[in-house]
Amino acid sequence: MTTANSKPSAPSSSFNVKRAVFWIIGLPPAYYVLAILIAVAPAVSATLINPNYWFVILKQSAPLGIAVLAQSLVMRVRSIDLSVSGVFAFAIYVASSGLLNSYPPLLTVAMPIVVGLLVGVINGVLVAYVRASAVISTLSVSAILIGVVQYMSAGRAPGSTPTWLRVLTSGNIHGLSYSVIIWIATSVLVAAAFRFLIVGRYFRAVGDNPRAAETTGIPLARTIFVSHVTAGVLTGIAALVQVSALAVGTIKPGFDTFMNALAATILGGVTFGVDRGGVAGPFVAVVAFSFLFAMLTVFGIQEPGKLIVQGLIIALAAIIYGTRAGRI
Amino acid sequence: MSMLVEMVGINKSFGATKVLSDVGFSLEPGSVHALMGENGAGKSTLMRILSGVYQPTSGIVRLRGEVVNFRTPKEARLAGVSTVFQEFTLIPNLTVAENMFLGHEPRRADGSIDRAEVIDRSRRLLADVFPQLDPMAIVDTLTVAQQQAVEIAKGLTSNADVFIFDEPTAALNSADVEHLFKVIRDLKGAGKAVVYISHRMNEVFELCDKITVMKDGAWVKTAKAEEFNLHSLVATMVGRELQNFFPSRAGETGDHMLEVSDLRLDVEGPTVQFSVKRGEILGLAGLEGQGQREIMRALVGVESAKSVTVRRRGADSSMRAVNVSSGFSNAISAGIGFIPEDRKQEGLFLRLPIYDNIALGKQLNRSMASVAWRSVSRVRDIIKSLRVAAADPGAPVGKLSGGNQQKVLLGRWLLSGVDILVIEEPTRGVDVGAKAEIYRLLRDFSERGGAVIVSSRELAELIGLCDNILIVHDRKVVGQTPAVGATEESILGTALGSHSTHDQRAAVH
Amino acid sequence: MNTVATYLRVPYRAGAIRLSIGTLVLMVLASIIFLPGFLAGENLSNLLAQSTTLVISALGQTFVILTGGLDVSVGSIISVTTAIMTLDMPPFVRVLLCIAVATTFGLVNGYGVARLNVHPIIMTLATMGIGQGLALIILPIPGGRVPDWLSMSVAGSIGPLPNALVWLVVASLVAAWILYRRPFGLYLFAAGGNEFNARMNGVPVERTIMNAYVLSALFACAAGMFLAGRLASGDPKGGAAFGIESVTAAALGGVHLAGGIGSIFGTVVGAAILGLVNNVMNLANVSAFLQSVAKGALLLVLVVSQRRKTIGL
Repeated sequence: MTTANSKPSAPSSSFNVKRAVFWIIGLPPAYYVLAILIAVAPAVSATLINPNYWFVILKQSAPLGIAVLAQSLVMRVRSIDLSVSGVFAFAIYVASSGLLNSYPPLLTVAMPIVVGLLVGVINGVLVAYVRASAVISTLSVSAILIGVVQYMSAGRAPGSTPTWLRVLTSGNIHGLSYSVIIWIATSVLVAAAFRFLIVGRYFRAVGDNPRAAETTGIPLARTIFVSHVTAGVLTGIAALVQVSALAVGTIKPGFDTFMNALAATILGGVTFGVDRGGVAGPFVAVVAFSFLFAMLTVFGIQEPGKLIVQGLIIALAAIIYGTRAGRI
Repeated sequence: MSMLVEMVGINKSFGATKVLSDVGFSLEPGSVHALMGENGAGKSTLMRILSGVYQPTSGIVRLRGEVVNFRTPKEARLAGVSTVFQEFTLIPNLTVAENMFLGHEPRRADGSIDRAEVIDRSRRLLADVFPQLDPMAIVDTLTVAQQQAVEIAKGLTSNADVFIFDEPTAALNSADVEHLFKVIRDLKGAGKAVVYISHRMNEVFELCDKITVMKDGAWVKTAKAEEFNLHSLVATMVGRELQNFFPSRAGETGDHMLEVSDLRLDVEGPTVQFSVKRGEILGLAGLEGQGQREIMRALVGVESAKSVTVRRRGADSSMRAVNVSSGFSNAISAGIGFIPEDRKQEGLFLRLPIYDNIALGKQLNRSMASVAWRSVSRVRDIIKSLRVAAADPGAPVGKLSGGNQQKVLLGRWLLSGVDILVIEEPTRGVDVGAKAEIYRLLRDFSERGGAVIVSSRELAELIGLCDNILIVHDRKVVGQTPAVGATEESILGTALGSHSTHDQRAAVH
Repeated sequence: MNTVATYLRVPYRAGAIRLSIGTLVLMVLASIIFLPGFLAGENLSNLLAQSTTLVISALGQTFVILTGGLDVSVGSIISVTTAIMTLDMPPFVRVLLCIAVATTFGLVNGYGVARLNVHPIIMTLATMGIGQGLALIILPIPGGRVPDWLSMSVAGSIGPLPNALVWLVVASLVAAWILYRRPFGLYLFAAGGNEFNARMNGVPVERTIMNAYVLSALFACAAGMFLAGRLASGDPKGGAAFGIESVTAAALGGVHLAGGIGSIFGTVVGAAILGLVNNVMNLANVSAFLQSVAKGALLLVLVVSQRRKTIGL
């Protein structure tokens, strides 16, 4: 993603080999992790190497995958979005509480995306124009959303999610569920936008050096605003997919969602102001994490062990692969 | 008299760039020794080696006869070398007193800082030198001149034997300068050695016993101050070869291309106005910090001024207004580009490839949803024509030398197609070889129907490069001269000659 | 308002604590006026007991934020502490173990941020996960018994003073002593103000940053002890909220997330504001869940008023 633009037509083959080696070494840790997991998998359990199982893993990863796509967008411009949990909680509740039952189904589909968009706009205004701290702003928005959900659910308990919506997750084309197709489609769209559109250039410049971006004439605030709005829409789509994967709506939002999203983004080679993984890196990282947790479950390792492994991986990935790109 | 400091055979390289070649320098106790040379001569680097910021690539430093090897500024300070840096090393949220004693605070028996002592000693020291400074004031709330005073006061807190002053009077007015001189003379009387780095000839002649001249990283000459006069000193610093260094000036220039008027930096200040012709290179000259930077940035909209009106000649030969108050992007659409002085912090994207840095030129002022311009071959052509020394456009720009980085920035604006270029310090941090290339590139730009406005601390550079020079002092234009026949003395004379009243804003005393 | 403000001159480095103090005063007044039962002894001691954990963890967090960083692992350290205190070992050993674990976390965080150049959010996020996992391994479900002396030291009172108040005051005094009486405190402000210049002046920046994270972890440990005493049992997820709430409390108290500006008094005020929100909501019989909304809104208002030059994190 990053070096592809500038690769000239190589003159000699030895030059090519050297480049290839550098390129492999420069890959985000996600690839290595996945490669190791795939290599080890046969020894662990036969299920893990069953291609049908891979489709299951992909299906389970779809909501997180789209959320990770969103998170990696804002991290590229040195911001952060901690409102994922709030958007998820809100969307899940509204979809499962029957509030929208009397309206056309389109509204239920549009609701998470609209919520995500609104949240993204609010975050964008707060971070880019009011210059409030991204950590605190997005967190506050999330807290407000969760609070509203908890308040509403006291009066009206969540029930089941609409059955017709679940087809997003259960239906499939050749084994790939619709949710996975949505995940892949949005990833491709974002990747294409980054590669071919101006917005990608601005994101990279702003991430590398916000001050220089301003002095060069790049609209700093607008770029960061756009990152948050886009992230919001993507989070909304992720929430929609998540709803379709649930049978019953829950109140308790996953605090882990934000941690998982951040972990996958970092493992995928994207950190504050640095993009060395593109769109593919975090994508692979999400798959790698799902695979890893599946494998840990086979070993009988439950949540505590998974948390520890996740923490260790984040730490190692950050230490070995990344350098810090500026502080809070 | 035995030498207090001896530096012998000092060589220093940063990566592939050699900045000091076999330099020797000695200091006697009880003397004030001027270190002079153009920008990039290596004076600051040499003194940074003495003060522990850098280590020499090879060579020996002796203090009081013994070989020393300072690995940190703190080691140098503890050994008795105190430095007042050109770029302040103050902590903005600490008080004046805390800054003065930072890193060597007097302690009590239990290890805590003796705050009363810090305040007391600061007060006594400041009373002598800068009585107007409040030791309890927070540094962030001070003016630049006051902050410089703090930086100087810092150097006086340690009981050092060697004091290095690097351009100490840049932001001080004449009363403060007199005070500083008194301090320095007291130090000399107490047997200390003082190194005085400054571009200000009159100060050097008034204060210093000896003068060492450096040029292009090498030692040129050391002699008693009385053995120099203004002309011989300048000649030694500048050298004869300068004639062929600059491309020839414009033969003829066209109509006015850009008009700046009603430029007001302060609410009750004077207005600035000037214009640039097609094919002309116009320079803004003067002492440091006199407003050149603010004027340049206001006219492109990178920083805001109280008021500014900019008009440029359009394709149909009429003058049309450019609304720079709304921001830099308007200037860019109007065909005006800007290259900042601090290219690493404000101009380049160091981790991104050369290609990206240059290609940005065609990607500005576009809607974010539009397709990005891409052409590796076009960028390669620019790299080749600018002679940027890099094999691979995919290499990150941060690895290039200063001169090549500047060329990348130039390449960006050349690609963008602007025809007016506003550039600060075009050859700062650029080695001698690349300087001539950059001058050539700027002249080519103007010859092709463009105009260049350039500001620089190096008057010699402006004289050599420009067609006309505006002299700026006290945030206004006080004179104008054709570059032909202008000298550094004549420019400074015009600048200082207009300095009539005591500037209250810079008052520290 | 301007003239009132000039009477209350506060040190520059304390930040905008006048706004925080004003908010707190307003909230207290409003509570006294509109909520009968606010001033009742039982309510006040509830308020105190609920807020103390937050205050102690926020104090530790302040050290880290002053350097320009963030420590989200605080919550996990609290959880681990409560878990360890229920273990079947001599009480003295349990306490030592808590301190040892907290110190280790602090050292790891500090080393990662100061020497390995990992971003504070990322580093402490990693240790937060590890800590949470550790807590769940030690104590899978809430329960267990903590030593009696611990619960008694939290619950009782010394004369007219509730023990919780003693904990709070002692922690604040210790934090203030560290920040204002030790060179370390000045170095914290220096490192947060301009890290590069601080280093140039000989300030031991790396060591200072490392110590900040160790302190944060130790204060979190103390907060965990208090929580364990109050619950009289362990809770492996009991500290989870404090990771972010301690940052919130500090921010509400005028501590700048960019570093260099903050105060102990401010942090205590900020934590008091948060604690008050909790308490008042319960008293007013407002649904407990609206607390999230109120806290979020409050944070937004206060953070919007902190003018910044940088955009982003």
